[in-house]
Amino acid sequence: MNKFLKGKFDFSGTSINDNFELLTKALDASISGIIITDNLQEDNPIVYCNTAFETITGYSRNEIIGHNCRFLQAQDRSQKEREILAKCVKEGKECRVDIRNYRKNGDLFYNELFMSPVKDVDGNVTHFIGVQNDVTTRKNAEHDLRQQKSLMEKKIEERTADLRDSESFLSSIIETVREGLLVLDPNFNVISANYHFLKTFKVSAEETVGKELYKLGNSQWDIPQLRELLIKILPTNNPVVDFEVEHDFPHIGRKLMLLNAYRIELEGQYKDQILLAIEDITERKDIERRKDDFLSIASHELKTPLTTIKGFIQVLQKSVPEQANDKYQSVLDKVAVYVDRLNNLISELLDVSRIQTGNIELHKAPFNFDKLITEAVEAIQATAHGHKIILKGSTNAEVIGDESHIIQVINNLLSNAIKYAPDSKIIEVNIANISEYVKVSVKDYGVGINSEDTKKVFERFYRGNEVQKKFPGMGIGLYICDQIIKNHQGTLWVESEKGQGSVFSFTLPKN
Amino acid sequence: MKEKKIIICDDDPGIIDLLEIILEDTGHNIIAEMNSINIPSLIDKEIPDLLILDLWMPVVSGDQLLKMIRKHPKLSGIPVIIISASRDGEEIANQAGASTFLSKPFDIDKLIATVEAHLN
Repeated sequence: MNKFLKGKFDFSGTSINDNFELLTKALDASISGIIITDNLQEDNPIVYCNTAFETITGYSRNEIIGHNCRFLQAQDRSQKEREILAKCVKEGKECRVDIRNYRKNGDLFYNELFMSPVKDVDGNVTHFIGVQNDVTTRKNAEHDLRQQKSLMEKKIEERTADLRDSESFLSSIIETVREGLLVLDPNFNVISANYHFLKTFKVSAEETVGKELYKLGNSQWDIPQLRELLIKILPTNNPVVDFEVEHDFPHIGRKLMLLNAYRIELEGQYKDQILLAIEDITERKDIERRKDDFLSIASHELKTPLTTIKGFIQVLQKSVPEQANDKYQSVLDKVAVYVDRLNNLISELLDVSRIQTGNIELHKAPFNFDKLITEAVEAIQATAHGHKIILKGSTNAEVIGDESHIIQVINNLLSNAIKYAPDSKIIEVNIANISEYVKVSVKDYGVGINSEDTKKVFERFYRGNEVQKKFPGMGIGLYICDQIIKNHQGTLWVESEKGQGSVFSFTLPKN
Repeated sequence: MKEKKIIICDDDPGIIDLLEIILEDTGHNIIAEMNSINIPSLIDKEIPDLLILDLWMPVVSGDQLLKMIRKHPKLSGIPVIIISASRDGEEIANQAGASTFLSKPFDIDKLIATVEAHLN
């Protein structure tokens, strides 16, 4: 019979047997495992399996026939796919599941199972046909992918948490600093403002964020100096540090602010944003001013009785009785010297305070340098009886500076030379033109300075350990000298050797 | 040499005392006043040859007095020496129109020399 199932199939076999054999061979050629179960028998046993099924499962035919499919599930019985299969078997429907099965050697494999019922003319399910593919590789790939994905997700979550952490860490820093901080976009609109800014300038975040800086608080932030800073200075001088701005705000009054601005140059989302730190130094300046006032008054008040003492001593010096002995005269002279020293100390203390607060005022004017040095040397020589000051050289130069301050430096260096060279008579002062500078050197042959102390002698209140016992002092004279010379764009330095004496030199730019 | 009239004004009695002791040896007529508020009427009455003023004084300061004097048609030519222990004293004195500034503490020889220079 060449016809099979009403002519749907037409094999070349001469008998049904031939055709059946051909079909069986075709099934065996498939790489999908194929089984047939008999639904009419108890427990739906497998009645047929092809070669591929044997290959996939690792079982041989004789171990397969007669078993229910579930034998492939081994102990792995709680899969939801089982329920789907059972339901389809019960209802006689087809289905497709991916089910975990186990080979004979116990290895897990993923079985992609198509199951479809075979019905008789009355619609009764006589058989089920199962087609199976080993999709372990795919499943593993899928599983790996899922694992990768969840790993990635976890990592992203961690990263996000880290970012959130560092963001909240940063913002807590920003919120904690006692300095107003604004972030501006390139068009000077406020992106964010910290708590201290809002508090200092008595504004709310709503009134501030998103607004143009100049328009804040009814344009009370439209400060010409601020525009200058952001438009003219910052583009070419990034960052701008300690830019002082004074402004009268309608509600909070006059404020003195120190601005630091930084434009972000890093490529990326923050590029060209501007960080603007605003320090309110109104109060600090006020305190400094009051301290300065106090010191001015204190020094004035101290100097008034000192004037009287100095004056009366001079009167006494002039009216020494003829019969008075030498001791009388020399005691008076000594008192005069110490009164002068006390006067200098008071002046120096005031100077230190002014240097610290940056309030040292220079009244610069051109002056004849050689004349100033000569006069200063002569004045000191007049009081220094035990020493001989030798002035060498000339510059014929004009220097622009504050004469009284330069005299103060010369006096200080000469007094030191005398003080620290009690046993040698000669002090040399050299003046010379060096390039565009004038140079002054004061050389003594006194005790000298330790090499480690030479760097420190210009520090405020610094006293060399050994020196302090023999030569008491406050350690402010050289500090003041250094500051004065710096304020004149010059340099002050020392070369010294212990026991050999010291040379203090400074340069000043010529006019 | 004809005796000259010098008015001195300082709120500190020690300074007044000192100035009197120094200046009486010069042979001039010294009129001392501690209360600066009395100075305008005093100089108006006495027309001194020289005025020595402190800067920091209560009620009316030395530079205020000096500015008043410099604007006064009759008195504006009187030489005025300002003496002060204030660090900014010289600048203030010059701005107000002082003839000379001496910082406290001063050297008495220098004071005498300055006084004589302005009297001649």
